[in-house]
Parts: sequence; C-alpha cells; structure tokens
Amino acid sequence: MKIKAADIATILLSALWLTPLIVAVLLSFRPPDEPLSNGNIFVGSHITLDNYISAWAVAPWLTHYRNSVIFVVGVLAVQVVTITLAGYAFARMKFFGRDILLIVILLQLMIPSGVLIVQNFATVRQLGLFDTHIALMLPYWGSAFGLLLMRQTFREIPIELEEAARIDGANIAQLLRYVYVPLSIPAYVAFALVSISSHWNEFLWPFIITRSEEVRPLTVGLNKLVATTDVGALYNQLMAGTLLVIAPLVVLFLFFQRRFIESFARSGLK
Amino acid sequence: MTMVSNLKRVNSPREGKTLFVRALPYLMIAPTLILVCLFTLYPAVGSVVSSLYDPARNARDPAAYVGLQNYAELFDASHFIGATFMQVLGNTVFFAATTVIFAVPLALVFALLLNRKIKRIGVYRFALFYPALLPLIGAASIWAFLFADPIGLVNTVLRSFGIAGRNWTGDPSLVLLTVTAVNIWKQAGFVMIFYLAGLQNIPRDLYEAAELDGANERQKLFSLTIPLLRRTTLFVLIITLTNAFQTVEHLQALGQGGPGDSSNLLLYYIFQTIGERRNWGYINAMTVILVLVLMTFTVSNFLFFERRNHED
Repeated sequence: MKIKAADIATILLSALWLTPLIVAVLLSFRPPDEPLSNGNIFVGSHITLDNYISAWAVAPWLTHYRNSVIFVVGVLAVQVVTITLAGYAFARMKFFGRDILLIVILLQLMIPSGVLIVQNFATVRQLGLFDTHIALMLPYWGSAFGLLLMRQTFREIPIELEEAARIDGANIAQLLRYVYVPLSIPAYVAFALVSISSHWNEFLWPFIITRSEEVRPLTVGLNKLVATTDVGALYNQLMAGTLLVIAPLVVLFLFFQRRFIESFARSGLK
Repeated sequence: MTMVSNLKRVNSPREGKTLFVRALPYLMIAPTLILVCLFTLYPAVGSVVSSLYDPARNARDPAAYVGLQNYAELFDASHFIGATFMQVLGNTVFFAATTVIFAVPLALVFALLLNRKIKRIGVYRFALFYPALLPLIGAASIWAFLFADPIGLVNTVLRSFGIAGRNWTGDPSLVLLTVTAVNIWKQAGFVMIFYLAGLQNIPRDLYEAAELDGANERQKLFSLTIPLLRRTTLFVLIITLTNAFQTVEHLQALGQGGPGDSSNLLLYYIFQTIGERRNWGYINAMTVILVLVLMTFTVSNFLFFERRNHED
C-alpha cells in the first residue's frame, strides 16, 4: 500500500509540474483565430504552424540564435582557458600571496556579479563597449566557481604523473595539454553545462548592455514577444516563441539528463 | 594530506629560477584576477562610494558627500524613496522566505519519491527538474498565459469548481503571490538534486539496522533520513535564499513589479531605475544593501561547508 501511494504521488506531482510545458505546446499548435473561450483552452479544430510563423515574424530570431550561441560559446571558450591556467596555479604552484589572491577571487562567489549591474553598466560604457558582443561576455570571462572546480580536480590527479612528465622534459604548457586537461574532461563537461545553461538563460545583463538586435540574445528577443503579447493577448504566438527559445536547452537536457543533474549538483549555483 | 608537500616539490621559488618562471603563476592567475577586480571588487567598492554621495543635479555641479544620508532616507517611510524601498524590500523578504518555506520541503518530497526503484524514472526526473533549466523569462511567459484573466488555465480550473477567477498579474494583492508561486515551481526541482545527492550518501546498512530494530517507514524517515540530511538542508536553505534575492527576471513577463510597486523586488527595482541619474545615490545604496544581504548568506555557507571540507 505504501509503495502505491508513493507511485501515485510521483505521477500526480510530475503531471502538475509538467502542466505548463504541455499547455504551452498545445497552445502553440492551436489555430490562432479560434478564441480561447472559457472552458476550451486546449484543443483547437486542427494542428497548425501559424503561431510559429507569426512569432517568427516578430523578431529576427536567427540573429538572436546566432547571438546567443556567440554569447555562450564565447564565454565558455575564454572561461576554459582562464580557469585552467588559474586552477593549475592555485592547485600545484607555490607563490607569494597565493592565499590572499585566492580569497580576492573568491569574492566573486560571495558577491554575484548579477547584483552589480548598476556599476558594471557604467564600467562597460566607459570602456566604450556598450552594445557589443564583448560587453555581454566580458564580466563572465573569469569564473571563481570554475577556478575552484579545476583546482580541486587538478589536485586529485597524482603528482607522480606530473613528475614523470617533467623528467621527460615537459614544460607547463605541455603538462596541461597532455596530463591535466585530458584527465579532467568530466569536470570540464560539468562546468560547461552549468556555464552554457546559465548564460543561455541570462536576461537582465544582456537587456541593459545591448540596444541593437544585431547583438541581443534570444531571451531579449523573447522579451519583445512578451511585450507584444501584453497588448494583444496573442498567447498562442507567445507560447510558440517561448518554445523556440527554450527548445535547445530542453533537448540538450533530454540527451544529457544525468550529466546535467550531476553538474548542477556540483555547482550549487543557479 | 599530501598536498602541502606536493606544493613544495613543484616550483619552489628558491631553486634559482628565472624571472619568467617566478612570474609564471602570477601570469596564469592574472586574467581571472583582473576580471574579478574589474567586475566584482571595483563595482562593489564603487557602489559603496557612490552611495555616500548626493548626485549632481547637472553636469557642472560636483556630487556632494552626504555620508549615510541616502541610507537614512531609504529607511524613512515618509520620504518618497523610503516608502518605495521599504515596500520593495518587504516584498523581497516575503518572496525569498515563502520560496524557501515551500520549495525546500517540496524538493525533499520530490527527492524521496525519485530515490526509489521505479519505472520511467527519466520521465519523472525530467518533469520535476526541467523548470530549473528554463530561462526565467521563458518560464514566466508560459505562466503569463496560465495566470491570464479570464482565459488562463488557472482561472478556467477555478471556474470549473465554481470559484470566481482572479486577475493574478494585475491585482495588487495577488501579483506578489503569483511571482512567488512561479519561483517555487522553478526552484523545487533544482533543490531536489541536492537532496538526491544527499540521499545517495546515506549508507544502506543504516536502514537495514533500523529495520532489524522494527522501525517502520515513518520512523525511518523522521528518525533517520531527515536528521541525516540536515547538512544538505542547511546548504539548500542558504542557496535557495541566496538565489531568491537575485531571481527577478520573471517579473518582466508577470506584471513588471506592478501595479505600483506592489510586486516589485529589489534587484528588479534597481534594474528599472538604472538610468535615473538623480537617484544614483539611492540606487547604489540599495545595491550595497543587497550585496550585504547576499554576502551574509554566502559567507555563512562558506564557513559551514569549507570547515567540513577541511575536516574530511
């Protein structure tokens, strides 16, 4: 009996939590000219792509897709370099001021950059970078979380491997290239999933630091659709647009469910 | 641990290294350090400094040093900015506290349900976790329909039970509840993964021993599982609070903090007023307050859990 109650609870809660997604999918395929009358909000007379077509016309989505990809890939690519270098330095090198410098960097974990938008907005303007791809990415290029993750991962690699490589004459670049990085791929994957999903979803910073559609990512494009909906209650179209924006991550998650969950569990961050 | 001795063996500065080798660690951390200084340290200090000044009314006047007056006015309900700030701060505290009170127990329930041998676990895991993965503004735009009046799903369901629909994103007494509910829906699955990890760390034989002693399911849950998860619980309480103080993007699609500022949250208010030059001192003072709140959470988290790591 106990087990049955738990099964029922699992199914009910899952159904409840899935409802928004299911409703969005149903609504997005519903003919837009059939009003959402009371009591009939789900199924229309037939399935149509009209909502996707009209949502597609509201914003230059291909440009937004491209910008989102540039944003997340550009952030991740630079992060991988900075966290590898700094991660190794803090894991395996001894230098004056090491602990205090680490604490300075850890301030980033204590003061999330998302709340410093006012001053960072001013800084980016002063640097003359307002409304550029670089402006979007720059604050994220150094990652204290990634640094800590790599420091921990590198420390778990047996020092004997490094010593053997050094006897063979490897320099630090070769050590990283042939010993540390290849042995740390799972940590990089975990970091990449967290980094990609958080930046793909970012809205406030891209919204204030960009103005032109040539630079703005998907979330800002979606905001335009939200604003349009407010006026005309075009919910079918909004659902279609929302699904276009969230689809890539949801698909990625379907393929890498376990990896995603393990990575998020490791990060403890949004 | 062998770490300390390892560090001495590699790159000891006393081995007559060249300048380059001695500078190398600094060069390797420089990019990260510079970026953190530029986008964390500098803006944090900049907020504190700006918060102590009354901004110039025009370009020719210098900003006037006013000490803590901006802060005093933020907490003065009779002042125009104080009235707004107290409302927004109160909303934020309500939003964060309510999220924690509902999302954390829900997450524990989710984790207990999924931490069993059941069929189609992947489907259930997806169903409960996917909200955590959505962009807030995307999640909110879906909920904007669910909460729409009169055609949305929530009101349709209510009407089918004979209850009158409400204006969930327009009624000043409801919008804050609406945006909080959306956040609970989104956070519960995220917190669940920490409980799942915590549950997997509990040794099986503890349960076997309890069963030998005749413990029933309820006793195992309340005398074993929940007490053994208390570190996880402490951790998720802190991160859920920390996240809640920064989670505002859904407001953009759910009432934009209104009507008035009845559902506004601190970071969203800062975001909305970012261009108001004359309120620069207030905006920075609010940022400082938000930073202090978050630092309190993250530092306490750090103290609790770094200490544990050193004990391990």
